[in-house]
This record gives sequence, structure tokens and C-alpha cells, in this order.
Amino acid sequence: MYYLRFVLKISVKSEQENTIYYEFESDDEQLTIHVPEPLTYSNATHFRVLFDIIDDMKSFKVLILDFSKQKEFDTYLIVFRNSLAQFCLERNIDFRIEHSNDDIESVISLMQTTPTLAVENLQDKSQIYLYFQQVGSIVIKVFQDVYNFISFFGELIQKLLKLIIRPLSIRWQDMPLHFTQSGVMALPITIMIVFLLGLITGYQGALQLKQFGADMFIANLVGISLSRELSPLMVAILVAGRSGSAFAAELGTMKVSEEIDALTTMGFDKFEFLVLPRVLSVTLAMPFLVIICNVVGIAGGLVAAITTLDITTAGYIGRLEMALSLWDIGTGLIKSLVFGFLIAALGCYKGINVKGGADAVGRYTTSSVVAGVFLIILSDAIFTFIFQSIGI
Amino acid sequence: MNNKIIRVNNLTVRYGSLEVLKNVSFEINRGEIFVIVGGSGCGKSTLLRQLIGLEVPSSGDIFIDDVDFLAVDKKSRKEILRKFGVLFQSGGLFASMTLAENIKLVLGEYTDLNDEEMNEVVDIKLASVGLSGFREYYPAEISGGMKKRAALARAMALDPDILFFDEPSSGLDPLTSASLDKLINEINKIFGTTMIIVTHDLASIKTISQRIIMLDKSVRGILAEGTPQYLTGLKDKPNVYNFFNRIS
Repeated sequence: MYYLRFVLKISVKSEQENTIYYEFESDDEQLTIHVPEPLTYSNATHFRVLFDIIDDMKSFKVLILDFSKQKEFDTYLIVFRNSLAQFCLERNIDFRIEHSNDDIESVISLMQTTPTLAVENLQDKSQIYLYFQQVGSIVIKVFQDVYNFISFFGELIQKLLKLIIRPLSIRWQDMPLHFTQSGVMALPITIMIVFLLGLITGYQGALQLKQFGADMFIANLVGISLSRELSPLMVAILVAGRSGSAFAAELGTMKVSEEIDALTTMGFDKFEFLVLPRVLSVTLAMPFLVIICNVVGIAGGLVAAITTLDITTAGYIGRLEMALSLWDIGTGLIKSLVFGFLIAALGCYKGINVKGGADAVGRYTTSSVVAGVFLIILSDAIFTFIFQSIGI
Repeated sequence: MNNKIIRVNNLTVRYGSLEVLKNVSFEINRGEIFVIVGGSGCGKSTLLRQLIGLEVPSSGDIFIDDVDFLAVDKKSRKEILRKFGVLFQSGGLFASMTLAENIKLVLGEYTDLNDEEMNEVVDIKLASVGLSGFREYYPAEISGGMKKRAALARAMALDPDILFFDEPSSGLDPLTSASLDKLINEINKIFGTTMIIVTHDLASIKTISQRIIMLDKSVRGILAEGTPQYLTGLKDKPNVYNFFNRIS
């Protein structure tokens, strides 16, 4: 038998110079490692080097881990032991532990407790299986979500109809608050955006119309496009970002903190108590916002017209009176009512269906805005088709 | 090494004009299971929040291993926090992360372990709390008792010197609660970890506590101190006697 002694000096992440002394005993068949002290997380870097060293000593058939010196250790002892065992298994080397003391055995027994529940092991499944499983579950989830929203929507309509018979069933006292938050407080941002939108439309239109000498038609372009499409659409998108997301976050937090469950167990109807006041407030606030934004947007178009074209304010307004029909304004207002209803309903739906913790509230809130904008565009396309078909 | 792992001197906590704790002083021995009890609103959780550094007291000192916890710089504070493991009442697991990611977050911050080794530690820690096979689950997908055990696995990830528990048995059924108590005793015995437990679960107190302080609103501090047997028989202090003998 011959005796080898290796000395390693390695610096670790903590910027402290640490020295670990390994002792190996070896003959042709057997390698014994006297595990040095301390076998802790802080020395993980040193112990990792050991694998490279013993990998070079390929001749041995038995690896013995000698724990006789071990007094100071932590969970890393088990990581080290398991890694070495795996190392030996892969190389067909017999692995043994010697001089393990009671403390080490206690730690090993505590840390390798038998699982209480058997769980499906996903790692056994192939990557392709997992991919298709994931795609499938996403598709199912989307369909389930659409189905659930339609059910929610149906229930909401039912509750609204019930409201005609029992008008005092909802909390009317919450309406002014929601109306203020969703409507009045949204005014500054919507006015600013729609004014700029009118200005941009005016400038872009003016450049084109000037080429054909059709300067006066700037009023038609701005007035009709804003009243029928741009103003309701832009207001709806802004309200979806403000109120839709706020409803989702507020109700989602209430769901997570079991406030909605508490309401249900106290006999309150969550639709009457939470959903209807919000939905009605936003639905009613939307036309007001759109009317104000129509005026402001047309004013933006006027600024563009009088600064780039040879048009007076009186001429612009006069042309607007001729161009703009009541239906142009009416279709925009009808759309705004529906948009408001959809935004609020979707925000409440997402909030009420939050499952999980704080992160879920964030996810559902984001989803309420994305799905809200999608619903607005979709319903706008449907409206355009319907209005075209009936000629208004 | 000093046998006193934590020393609290004249700790006073005020919220505005409300004084919750006044001149509270006590010491915790290395390796003991130290329990803080008391009725609702007596300042148990407030005291725990001062000990783990979540709040700064109005006055007083806290020494951890003879280092002034309230006066240390950022680097030393982090070294002290490295010695702590905390099990919050609701677990405090990060909902956006799997159980494995929750545990690996701590390991990645404080150790040089590579990903393979971290995964090994995750499996070891989850196995030790009976949650093998749940590493890829999110907290929302497991029960309340499992959340608590997963949070304990995370708290134990770095084999801390001191483990703090805020109401460990709240929301758990008696069997799960008893198994958690058994685990606390085993960790204490095997690793010599100092355990500081805030609870008012009498069954747990009798099973795990080695020394107890009882806080009371009337004194805004410690009303009694001793072993569970001593406090259970303390007839000359009715509040203490009634508490430990469940007399209303």
C-alpha cells in the first residue's frame, strides 16, 4: 500500500482565502478519502475540485468516504455524499461510507425522509409529449375562459333585467364613486389624447386634401372619422387601461384576500354588490366622455385646418354642420355604450376569477386590458358591418 | 463563543402615541427552543418583527452573536441575516415561483453552489419536510399545510443558526401541526439550531418549548418567564396560570 497526500489552496467567492487539506489513501483497488473539515456550503467550491482529482485516478474499484474527522457540517454533506455516490455509479465504482457518526446519520435520516405523497414525475415524460401537453392545456384554457366569460356575461344580463323589477337590489350609493373614478377622473387624459388625435388627423388629411383643392372637406374628414370611429375607440381603449384594469386588480385582491367569499357567505350577491355598480357606472360614463372628446377632437382638427389650409373657423364649423349627421354622432354613442359595458364586464370577470396569490392579480389585470382592447376592436368591426348593412 | 445567541436590552416599540412594548429585556441561549406567548395584541409579532429586522424599535438594543443588530452596516447586516431562517404565518412563499425556485433563490444569493448542487439541496430540503416530488409546484397549487412545510424548507435552505417561527401551527390540522412540532424538535436536536417561536397553541408550547416568555398588554412587556412546567403551575400570577391552563 502507498500513501498520497494532496494539498489544495483555493480562494472562494467570499473573497476569503480558505485552505482545505485532502488526505487520500490508495492502493490499486481502493481509494479512501478522509473528508476534511468543515463540510459546509461555504466550502462547496473546494469540494467540487475533488471530483476532477479523483476522476484522474481511474484505476480504483472501490471508493471509501471516511467521515471520521467530521464534526462541522451542514446540508452540503448530503449533497457531497450524493454527488460522489452518483459519480461512482456512473463509473461502476463501489461506493462506501466509513466512520459515520450518529450526528451524520441523524442528518441523513432527517434529510431523506420518505415523501408523504406520490406525485406524477414530469421528468419521465418526453419533451414532445410535454410540448403538446402544454399546447393542449393552453387551448383548453382559452376555450374554458371564453365559455366562462359568456356564462358570466349571461348572468350579468340576467341581473340587469332583474334590476328593472327590483331596482333597489344594487348598491346605488357606490355609483357616484365609480362614475367619478371611471368618468370624471378619466377626462383630463382622454381630452388630451383625443385633441391630439384630432390635430394629427387634421394635419394628415390637410396634406392630402390640399393636393386636390378639397380644403373644405377637412371638416368632413375630422368630424365624421372622430365621431363615428376614432373618438369612441380611443376613449374605450383609455378606459380599458384605467378602469378595466382597476376593476380587475381591485376585485382580484378582494378575491385573494377572501373578501368576496366573505360577502357570499354573508348572503350578498357579488353581482349586485360589486359588479353591477361598476358596469353601470362605466357604461353610463362612456357616452359623456365621447361627447366631450368629439368636441375636443374636432377642435384639434380646427387648429390643424386654420394653420395649414386657407380656412376660417366659421367656414370649418359651417362645413361641419353640413357634413355631420345625427347618425354619425349617434353611432359613436351607441358604440361607446357597448364598449363601456364590455370593458367593465371583462374587468370584473377577470377580477372575480383570480386564482392564486399576488402574482395572479397582476396576470389577470394585464389580461383584462389585453382582452378588453381585443373585444373593443372586435365589437367595433361588428358595428361597422352592421351600420354599413343598414345604411347608417 | 458566547452562549447567548440573542440579547435584547430595554426594547421599546411605539406606533405614534401607542406604546406596544416598554423596556423589554431577555436573552436567548444558543441551541434552545425559545417560545414567545401571550394573548392577542400583546406585542408578540411586534417583538418578532424587531428581532428579524423588519422594524426598527423606538429605543433599546438587539445583539445577535454579540453584534449590535441595530447599528451594523449593510454588509454586516446581510451576514447576520444569513444566519436567520424565518417561517412567516402565511408562509411568505413567492407565488410567481415554484417551490424549487423559492429555495434556489436563497441558495443562489448566499452560496457558490452550481445549479446541479442547488437542485440536490432543493430535493433534500423538500424531502425533509415531506414534500418530495412537489418541487415544480407553485404555492397556489398546494394546500395550506404544505405551503407552511415548503416555507420551512426554504427557511432551512441555508441551515441557519436561528430559525424564527410566527404562529407555525395556525391554520394547520392537529396532525400536521404535531408533525411540524416533531420536525422542529428534530432540527433543533440534530443541527443545534436555535428556535424562536411565536405561538399561542398550548399543545405546541408543551411539546416543543424549552423556555418561554409570556408577554402581556397590562405590563407592555414580559409578565413571566420560565419552563412550560413552571408557568403552568404559576398560581400567584392569575393571567399566566389561566393562560396555560385554559381558564377563562
